[in-house]
Parts: sequence; structure tokens; C-alpha cells
Amino acid sequence: MKEKDPQRKTANDEKNGRTREQKAEQTAKSAIIVEEAAVAKVASPPPPGAKERRFRQTDLPAHFIERRKHPRISTQQPPPPAPPRMDDYAPIIGQPELDEIRFLARHLRGKTVKMVNSTAVGGGVAEILNRLIPLMNELEIPTRWDVITGGNDFYEVTKGFHNALHGGDYNLTQQIRDIFMSYNEQNRQRMEFAEDLFVIHDPQPAGLVRSKSQKRGRWIWRCHIDLSNPHQGVWDFLKPLVEQYDASIFSAPAFTRQLSVPQYLFYPSIDPLSEKNKDLPEEFINKVCDDFGIDRSRPIITQISRFDRLKDPVGVIEAYKLVKKYVDCQLVLAGGGATDDPEGAVVLQEVMDAAGDDPDVIILNLPPWSALEINALQRASTVIVQKSLKEGFGLTVTEGLWKEKPVVAGAVGGIPTQIIHKLTGVLVHSVEGCAYQIRYLLTHPEFAAQMGRNGREHAKENFLITVNLKRWLLLFQILLGMARPNVTI
Amino acid sequence: MATAPQMPSTRPRWARSPFYFNSASHLLRIGREKAANLQELLEALRTCPESSIFQHTFQTLEEHHFIKEGFSNDFSHWAFAACNEVELAERLAAIDIREFTSIPSLRERIVHIIEAYLQKNPRAATRTAMEPFYLMASDLVVIPTPYVARNLEEFADGLRRVSIHSIYYHFIDARLRLKLNTNDFSSWLEQEMEMGQAADRLNRIDIYTSTLEGVRRSILKVIETETGRA
Repeated sequence: MKEKDPQRKTANDEKNGRTREQKAEQTAKSAIIVEEAAVAKVASPPPPGAKERRFRQTDLPAHFIERRKHPRISTQQPPPPAPPRMDDYAPIIGQPELDEIRFLARHLRGKTVKMVNSTAVGGGVAEILNRLIPLMNELEIPTRWDVITGGNDFYEVTKGFHNALHGGDYNLTQQIRDIFMSYNEQNRQRMEFAEDLFVIHDPQPAGLVRSKSQKRGRWIWRCHIDLSNPHQGVWDFLKPLVEQYDASIFSAPAFTRQLSVPQYLFYPSIDPLSEKNKDLPEEFINKVCDDFGIDRSRPIITQISRFDRLKDPVGVIEAYKLVKKYVDCQLVLAGGGATDDPEGAVVLQEVMDAAGDDPDVIILNLPPWSALEINALQRASTVIVQKSLKEGFGLTVTEGLWKEKPVVAGAVGGIPTQIIHKLTGVLVHSVEGCAYQIRYLLTHPEFAAQMGRNGREHAKENFLITVNLKRWLLLFQILLGMARPNVTI
Repeated sequence: MATAPQMPSTRPRWARSPFYFNSASHLLRIGREKAANLQELLEALRTCPESSIFQHTFQTLEEHHFIKEGFSNDFSHWAFAACNEVELAERLAAIDIREFTSIPSLRERIVHIIEAYLQKNPRAATRTAMEPFYLMASDLVVIPTPYVARNLEEFADGLRRVSIHSIYYHFIDARLRLKLNTNDFSSWLEQEMEMGQAADRLNRIDIYTSTLEGVRRSILKVIETETGRA
């Protein structure tokens, strides 16, 4: 419940042990963040092609209506913050856990690693490597990141492969095979392979394994995509390359294929110190809600995802409508992809049509630099929804778990790995199921809070970047013969 | 002749050999077996490596150490959540891994429970589960920590400082290493400190109705009581 009476708020703060000085410091800190975030905010018009929404008559104050029609959205990308250092994670994971990571790293000190992928910016893999590699280097495991190069024809082929490996149709010709292999060969000739460990990400650079030497180095193929239902021809072409590696890594057991090499499970991870996940002052969360016209005195149901039919935003609206019959609440659908993706714009319009004139459905088309705002929206939420019809791992679910929120999500892709039904979240299979579970959580806050606490622990134990780093260190030790299972290092 | 009253000794009782706190980390390997129904699970359970049985019973307890109720092992959870076989789930959940000092005997118990259930409910055998069960395996790597205890005070201090993975390693995983119905802490208390009663009290702590943090607190309570007594 939002605190409206300033005197009562002060009394509550004092009861909770916050002194005036602490409050002043906190306010100053949040003021800086709020000011930074407010620098380039403008009341945003609807995206090209989308109509402005009209709301039916409502009791909501005028400023909520105005912000819901024209949310204040930042127009400039803020400069990226400095990457965190190992010690910054101690308050989150605890000193003993940090000591164990350092101990594992100590044995690998001086061992060199090369990571290779196909893009330096954009995409989940680049995002992970941007955070992981500085930490490995800080631990004195010199880690180099190389990016393969190629012409448009190569990227057309690899995009086709990507879709085909997800089950799409594809015509794999000899010319396509030649393009793929010749660019891999060019990159192989260009690069040096003198490191102790090579981690090749995804199919694009998979052919680099032809540089594998019997004498030196261990090769790992890290597959970030779902191979559960691949185009057989494309997989048959790639499989002999993959089987030359010493080990492979997948993000979920369901994403794998039968292979002759060991397959390890590394869950994707989030960084608890990133803009998307770090703790935020309450004042900043309030400010973001104000900018978007969100009323914090009533329950907030939120789905964060790009405007894509596979995320079923219209299904979420239908579920919200069923909930609304019993509980006065608001729905926030926030995501991107509607400005630069023609299909995204179409889906956004479908979402707006489904929302109709209901002023409590708040639709936000956010630019890619909205990590802080998304963080604030998740933290302001009463229930987080991810009602996907198809999903990769579903890192928005992880983000919700980390923020100690009850999460209701579709039982697809990597989501069941994260959500243990009714223990760390709720799995649903239909609009009706989704609506019922949201209703239940809104009306049973103690159950929702316990699930939120479990969810955060689950994320802490399995899905943080520090856990991911530890897995890499363990795998490196095992592959280099420095550690054997069940034997003390 | 009057004797001077004896002052309580402030010297701690020293262990014959110290306790070295270790910790453990594990890597998950994806196995070859998967089951779409209970019959397939039964077949996979008969042939899968011991490391898979270990992963889905012992190791999963560590992975879900924060859950106080409603979670026992992966087989039980799957029978409940994916197969909707509540009775089987209850029977599997009742398996207490502390009764087992070897994986073959644990495997035998799980197989027996499922076999008996399918004999009684043959139609459940081939009913397709909502989600398949993927058998995983675990590579556990043991990591030494800097903490060593030569007396109870140092033991309590180490217990407070080590990670939850260390508690798991010494208190739960130990049974398979020791091949005894005990744990590293109790074993040390009994053999090196001659504190059999405290060792028994530790061994009676319930790991299924408590989180691992709760287990740590319960162990500390026993040790602190003993320290106070000394």
C-alpha cells in the first residue's frame, strides 16, 4: 500500500530503524539516480502506425490518465556503468561462496582462455561475455574474446541455420554448406589458437574446431539455442563438427541432442549488479511509476517482454480481464521491438486493440536502454507474469524470481527449470489457469511472499553470474585434468 | 582438611585430530536417458549410472536447500507435478536418504516402489507425462576451506563461517563416503572429542523439515549447549 501521510511515513521509518541521517543519505542517493534517469525523458507518442489509445470514463486522477497516454520515456542511452568487481558480489552471495570461487580460480591462474562468438554487441551471448570475461581476467585467468567476421552471405546463412535449428523449414544446398565452411576456414586462418581452453559459442563459429590440436588445448562448444527440434539436414551437417569438441554445454536438458561428447548443463544467468537487477531506492521506483502513470496503491500485474505473439501478450490481457472481475488491479505490458520491427508494431497494435478502452491496461513500448525502468517496474509489481507460448530459457522469469516476486509463467522452454510449481512460482498452461493463479496470489499475500522468497533463493543458488562463473572454473579444471569428481582438489 | 574449591577449567577440550572443513561444488552432466512416462522412468532407473541416482536424490536436496516443505527428491516431484500420480509421489517422497549408505540400495528402493505402484495401477505405466524426465548426473568436486577445528569453540566458529555447500557436504553427502548412518560432524565429535551424546543429537536433526541454514542453526545450538556445559 502506498504511504500517503508524510507524518505516518516518518513514524514508520523510525519504527523500522531508519534515522533522519540515513533517510537523508538515501534520498540524496536516489535523487542522483532519479535525476540521471530524468535527463532526457519526454512524453512519448505512440509508435509509428499505432493509434493513440482512448480510455473510458474513470475515477482515476487526471495525471495517471495523462501519463498512461503519454508515458515519460528516456530518449537517450545512458553511459554504461563500470563493470562490477568480484568483491562487489560478497554482500549478495556471501564471503564463503566468494572464497570458494577464488580458490577454484587460484588453481587455474595463468591458464589462458579464448572465447569466440559471432557478435560483439547486441544479443544475449555478447551481454553474458561482457560481464563474464572481466571477472575471469580479474581472477588472473587471462581470457580473450574474439569475434568471427563474415560477409552478408555468411550472416544470411547463419541466420537461416538459426531458424532451421529452431525447427523452421530450410533448403540446405551445397552452396550454403560451402559458404559456411569457407568463412569458418577464413576465420580459422586469421586467428591464433595458442590458449589452453577454447570456448566456441553457438553454431556460427563451430567450424573453428578444425584447429584443435591433439597436443594442446581443450575445446568446448557452448550452445545457447534450443536444439530439441532441429531441421534434420542442418543438424546432420553441424553434428560432425560438434562431436570434435571435448565437451558441449546446453542451457536446459530439453535443448540437447544425442552426442558422443559429454554434455554439461549451464543455466543462463543474470547479473545481480546490472542495471536490470541491482537494488533500487524506493523513491526511484515511485518516480518510474509516476512517469508511466502506474498507481502503486493498487495491485500491479506485469509482463515484461518484446511485442511478440510467442509471448502471448493478448492472452495476458484476457487473463487480466478474468482477474479484474474479482480484484481491482492494473496490468502493465512493457517491452520493446515495436519501433524497429514491423511485426512488433503489428503485435503492439493487436495488444492495444485487445486492451480497448480499459485505462488499467498500461502498455509501454520501451527503448533498449530502459534497464533501470524495467528493473523498477518489476520491483513495483505485485505479480510477475511470463505467459509465453514458446520460450528460450526465459531470463525475465529469472529476473522476477531474483526480485522476490511471485511469478506466474507458461510451462514452456526453460521455464519449468526455474519454476518448481507452487514452490518457486506457478506454472500455467492456459489463459484460465493464468487468471486463476494470479487471483490466488493476489488474495493470498503470505503464500505469494513465501513463494517469492523461495524464488529468490532458487535464483541465487542456480541462476546468478557468480554461479555461472563457478561452473566455468569447475569445467576448466575437469577438462584440464586438475580436478577429478569426488576427489579433494 | 579443607580443600580449596576447584576453579572451573577454562582450557578447552582438545580433539585428538582436528576437523578440516571442506566444501563441494558440482557440475551437472546431461545423461542419455529420458522418460516420457513411468514405465520409461522405471527402465531408465534400472540402467542409469549411480551418479544419476545420486543427483536426483542427494544432490537435489542441496539444490533446493531453501525449501522447507514439499520437496524431497526429483522422482517424487515429477510423479506429482508431471504425472499427477499423487500416491506414488507420496511414497517416493517418504524415502529418507539418511537410511542409505550406498547408491545401489537406494536405487533398489526407488525401483521397488515404482514397480509395486505400476503393478497396482498398470494404466499409469504408459500414460504420457506433461513434461519428460531428463536424467542428469553430477560431478562433485571437493574444495578445501581455510577452517580447521581443534576444539568445540573452533568447530562452532567454522560452522558459522563455511558456506551452505560445506554443511551439505559434511552432513548429508558424508553418508555415502563413510558408508555409515552418520555424518562427518557426528563422526568427529564421537571419535575425536569423545562426545557420543552430542554426536547422536546432531544425527537426529531432520533435514527434510528444515532448510540447510536451519540445519546449520540446529547443529550450532547443540555445539553451543556443549560449549556452555564445558
